[in-house]
Amino acid sequence: MTTNEELITQVLQGLPVQIKRPGRVFVTIPREDLIKTMNILSSELNVRHLSTITARDTNKDFELLYHFFLNGVVITIRTICPKNDPTIESIVPIFPSANLYEREIHDILGIVPQGHPDLRRLVLPDDWVGGYPLRKDWKQPTEKEAEE
Amino acid sequence: MNHVKLPIGPQHPALKEPENFAITLDGERVVDVDIRIGYIHRGIEKLMESRTYIQNLYLVERICGICSYAHVWNFTQNVEEILGLQIPKRAEFIRTLFLELERLHSHFLWLGVAGHEIGFDTLFMYTWEDREVVQDLLEMISGNRVNYAMNTIGGVRRDVGEEHRKKVLQGMDYLEKRAQYYKEVAINEKTILARAENVGILKPKDALRLTAVGPTARASGIKVDIRKNDPYSVYPETPFEMITTDTNDVLGRVVVRVLEIFESIKIIRYLMEHLPEGEIKIKVPRKIPEGEAITHCEAPRGEDFHYLRSNGTERPERYKVRTPTLANLLSVSEMLKGTYLADVPIVVAAIDPCMGCMDRVLLIKEGTDKPGELVDGEQLRRYGIKWYAERGWNA
Repeated sequence: MTTNEELITQVLQGLPVQIKRPGRVFVTIPREDLIKTMNILSSELNVRHLSTITARDTNKDFELLYHFFLNGVVITIRTICPKNDPTIESIVPIFPSANLYEREIHDILGIVPQGHPDLRRLVLPDDWVGGYPLRKDWKQPTEKEAEE
Repeated sequence: MNHVKLPIGPQHPALKEPENFAITLDGERVVDVDIRIGYIHRGIEKLMESRTYIQNLYLVERICGICSYAHVWNFTQNVEEILGLQIPKRAEFIRTLFLELERLHSHFLWLGVAGHEIGFDTLFMYTWEDREVVQDLLEMISGNRVNYAMNTIGGVRRDVGEEHRKKVLQGMDYLEKRAQYYKEVAINEKTILARAENVGILKPKDALRLTAVGPTARASGIKVDIRKNDPYSVYPETPFEMITTDTNDVLGRVVVRVLEIFESIKIIRYLMEHLPEGEIKIKVPRKIPEGEAITHCEAPRGEDFHYLRSNGTERPERYKVRTPTLANLLSVSEMLKGTYLADVPIVVAAIDPCMGCMDRVLLIKEGTDKPGELVDGEQLRRYGIKWYAERGWNA
């Protein structure tokens, strides 16, 4: 009997799939292949459930994790986006539920999802000028700086 | 077209997530909704990077005031996965007990709020009194009513004694009787039917497309319940059913939650009758090795998703939380389109977000920046009840 994890591995043939433990599958792809991979997930695996998108500053670059859920398996698509060009293709046309999550990573890390229909702020105030707080080099402004 | 824009929200001191719904109206009908959140963004994810895992236990618990335990459960589970730790069976049972007690009190609370929004305050008084039974049980075991501080990395901090076990079972007998009554009310009471049936429709294809979670999705017939889809803790061995309805409306969301109360009671009885003997916690190192873990669980409102990246120190490298309300926000704007203004309070309440969003409403006439009439949430609620009364819908 093939498990759900093995089925997913078969469909994602050729991609570096890593089964961390039962129910947790990680796939690392280059940034250019994002849309292609998302299309495979959507049309061939029929994935609909996008749990969220995690973005993190690794000091060197940005790491993006797209977490999907299918038949008891959390599929995480991992991709890297360089700091000097913090852009990524928007996946909203394929997964509409990515809308708010892409707005969030844009807001707190300054990663620009290109082609996103509505890139207003999500969690920070509209008049925020303090930079991108989730970047590792971000420092909380002192009280004096905050007043200015 | 003579559209009116109506901002609802954002601030209320009692809220966990104040939201601003900018509603565009054509007469009585809602044509468009725009949601703005973040009014009390507290930067918890950033804050966690500068605190130790033990400090973070208590910080994570304060993400939410109602489903606080779901968050701390996810956090401890993530840390334990990276440590490669198997916590004692008894601790697993006690943790699941808390997950279910939390669902019980949350669903009772929600039922009361829903009753209040449609002007059925008797229901509100009844359910909130019954919710106290659950709160007392939580306080009896953990010492706290809201942030229980039960979990620690490697187990739980307090044990469930024989006395507690008996009281929990007694509490379940009482709550089951009460839930039976609510089931009859929810399905037959004409006040609820008139206000909830065919209101706030979310079609299954939209629920899937927008990734609705929890009772909101299940009321549209989507079989998503993390307890069943990706079973964790003691759920694989616990007998219970996933509740779904196919009415896609507010009534469906009422029915799903009321029936889930019965399932939670069933689970709690199983846990209390099969509680294994043994330790409740094991010792763990303070430094967490490098690694990453993903945990999600079925909080009362739906899938609660946590991601942890550790770097070998006492503090996490990155912690990411996605709460169920955020996942359901897109669905709310879908549900609101085409409803009457009078139905806005109950439709928004039906995903179980933060009820106080309704507390400050400002009417602005389109095309001018001048504020019109200032309306608060209470007035909007009364307006909804009156609007229906004039059309002969009153009970």
